Amino acid sequence: MNLLPQFLIDSILLGGLYTLMAIGFALAFGVTRIINFAHGEFIMLGAYAAFWLFTGWGLDPLVVMPAVIVLGFACGWLLFKAFIERVLTAPNINQILLTFAIGLVIQHIAVILWSGDSRSTTPEYALKALTIGDAFIPYGRLVGCGVAVLLVAMLIAWLKWTEDGRAVRAVAQNSDAATLMGINVKGIYALSFALSSALGVATGVVVSFIITVTPFMGFPMLVKAVAIVIVAGMGSIVGMVVGAFVLAFAETGFAYYVTEGSGWAEGVAFVLITAILIIRPYGLFGDAEA
Amino acid sequence: MRPELFLRWAGFVLAVAVLAVPFIGSPSLADLTFRTCTLAIIAISWNMMAGAGLISLGHSGFWGVGSYVAILSANHFGVPFLPSLLFGMLGGAMIGAGLALITGRLRGIYFAVATLAMSEGLRVMAVMLPDLTGGAQGAYLNSALFPGALAVNIAASCGAVLAACLSWYVSRTRYHYAFRAMRANERASQMLGIHPMLYRVSIVIVSGALASYAGAVSVWYGGYLDPGVAFNLHITLMAQIAPILGGIYTLAGPILGTLAAAGLGEVTRQWLGHVEGVSLLLFGVTLAICVLYLPKGIQGGIDRLFRPVAKAPLADDSTPTRTTR
Repeated sequence: MNLLPQFLIDSILLGGLYTLMAIGFALAFGVTRIINFAHGEFIMLGAYAAFWLFTGWGLDPLVVMPAVIVLGFACGWLLFKAFIERVLTAPNINQILLTFAIGLVIQHIAVILWSGDSRSTTPEYALKALTIGDAFIPYGRLVGCGVAVLLVAMLIAWLKWTEDGRAVRAVAQNSDAATLMGINVKGIYALSFALSSALGVATGVVVSFIITVTPFMGFPMLVKAVAIVIVAGMGSIVGMVVGAFVLAFAETGFAYYVTEGSGWAEGVAFVLITAILIIRPYGLFGDAEA
Repeated sequence: MRPELFLRWAGFVLAVAVLAVPFIGSPSLADLTFRTCTLAIIAISWNMMAGAGLISLGHSGFWGVGSYVAILSANHFGVPFLPSLLFGMLGGAMIGAGLALITGRLRGIYFAVATLAMSEGLRVMAVMLPDLTGGAQGAYLNSALFPGALAVNIAASCGAVLAACLSWYVSRTRYHYAFRAMRANERASQMLGIHPMLYRVSIVIVSGALASYAGAVSVWYGGYLDPGVAFNLHITLMAQIAPILGGIYTLAGPILGTLAAAGLGEVTRQWLGHVEGVSLLLFGVTLAICVLYLPKGIQGGIDRLFRPVAKAPLADDSTPTRTTR
């Protein structure tokens, strides 16, 4: 049996999801220069929101998504105002440890509230699949990838054509110059962080019908997002998309073509991080000064 | 009494107590001491790297390597207790050297991410090489070689005391100033005639060897190892909480923090131990509060207590250095 078409389809569908995950994460990192180690927990919270709304009221994850996104935006904004804003100029170590601690707290609140059990949402389309020739396309992943692409396109359009979007890009490029141009840099930080959180919960809603939902699902996803950002380098959306697909193809390739590959695929992200950090520490698409 | 003198005496008394507990303490006290000592070792080890400006998010990697080298050398080659600890340290030192050489140019966040990647990469390897490591099912230590609980407890106590002495020794030498300079600005430190790469490799080797020692002792204590135990994120977390809580970059900080963290852990275990996840939740809250409100930890609090007024706050290197983007 020829694995190639199936391999390509799986990689592309996964790549779309990874793009959403990485761009959500990179938005906050690129603008505030703080790695948000709690981003994975936002993905987890989004997935739980989708799960509870689905099991409690039978609401389809895609229907509740806008509401969940608004909620995620609000939470991100609050988190920024309450904690992150205080360490904006602190040494790196304080920033890393603070977001790490916030992630830990969110994760274990989830453990206490909802236990460590694995769950998943099962809307009808998640259980069906399309077959073309030998290849098998699960509708759930197709829908997920479609939503992800749509959200990423919306974000790019916003960054490109709106006043606020331009301000975000200006701050990401040079926050001092942006201040001189009369941009409210702190406001833009808060906005980017909140939007990043909103995209995080959106990622969570999408993956809730693709992978199992547990309180611990966030950290591995965070590491993948970090890997993609490191592969891509700072400040390049094209780079982010390429990075996401590189990771998706590498992981799927491992799973298909290497014996016991699905186990090793977990390590692909780490190998990529290490390799890129050695060869090109500023990423494939970043410039050396970033 | 001057605080420095007080701390020195307190440290001495503590060291004697820690060394005496395996002989005279009750089993539960010995158990608590054992866990506190291994925590103190990784806290000191983490603080050493932090002191040179290297933020580690991968101390579980060193710990895990130490554990695996110890258990595998004992099981496959019949290596007895003490030599296996040395092999464990050697393994950690080698991983440390590799990490430092590979990440030669990286600083700050990028170094931290690389350490995280290292530790997770090692975990995946441990899961995926079952012929060597026992894989996800884990491996039991060959019980014929077990030297008795007393020996393991003594090894942990001695390790903690020696690690503290080592960090005290480093703080008395010129290396201390070299590391401080590197932490403040690695490029500028180069102009002072410091060879950052050399210092970086040596401190990561020492730090890695120390953390691996703690891992190696722990595997003899527990007698069982699987990748989840060996490369537990919890270890990384505790290795950083203790120095932050006690006072980062200071000599007594990691030890004060270890005592506080051990106390907090014990209280939660007794009162709320039945609720899953509650202890890690509390540690997370503690870490966040420390970073936000007590950036110099308990040591900073003590200093403030003893020097209530006068003296403008010293301009130290925790002042943010904004780099142009």
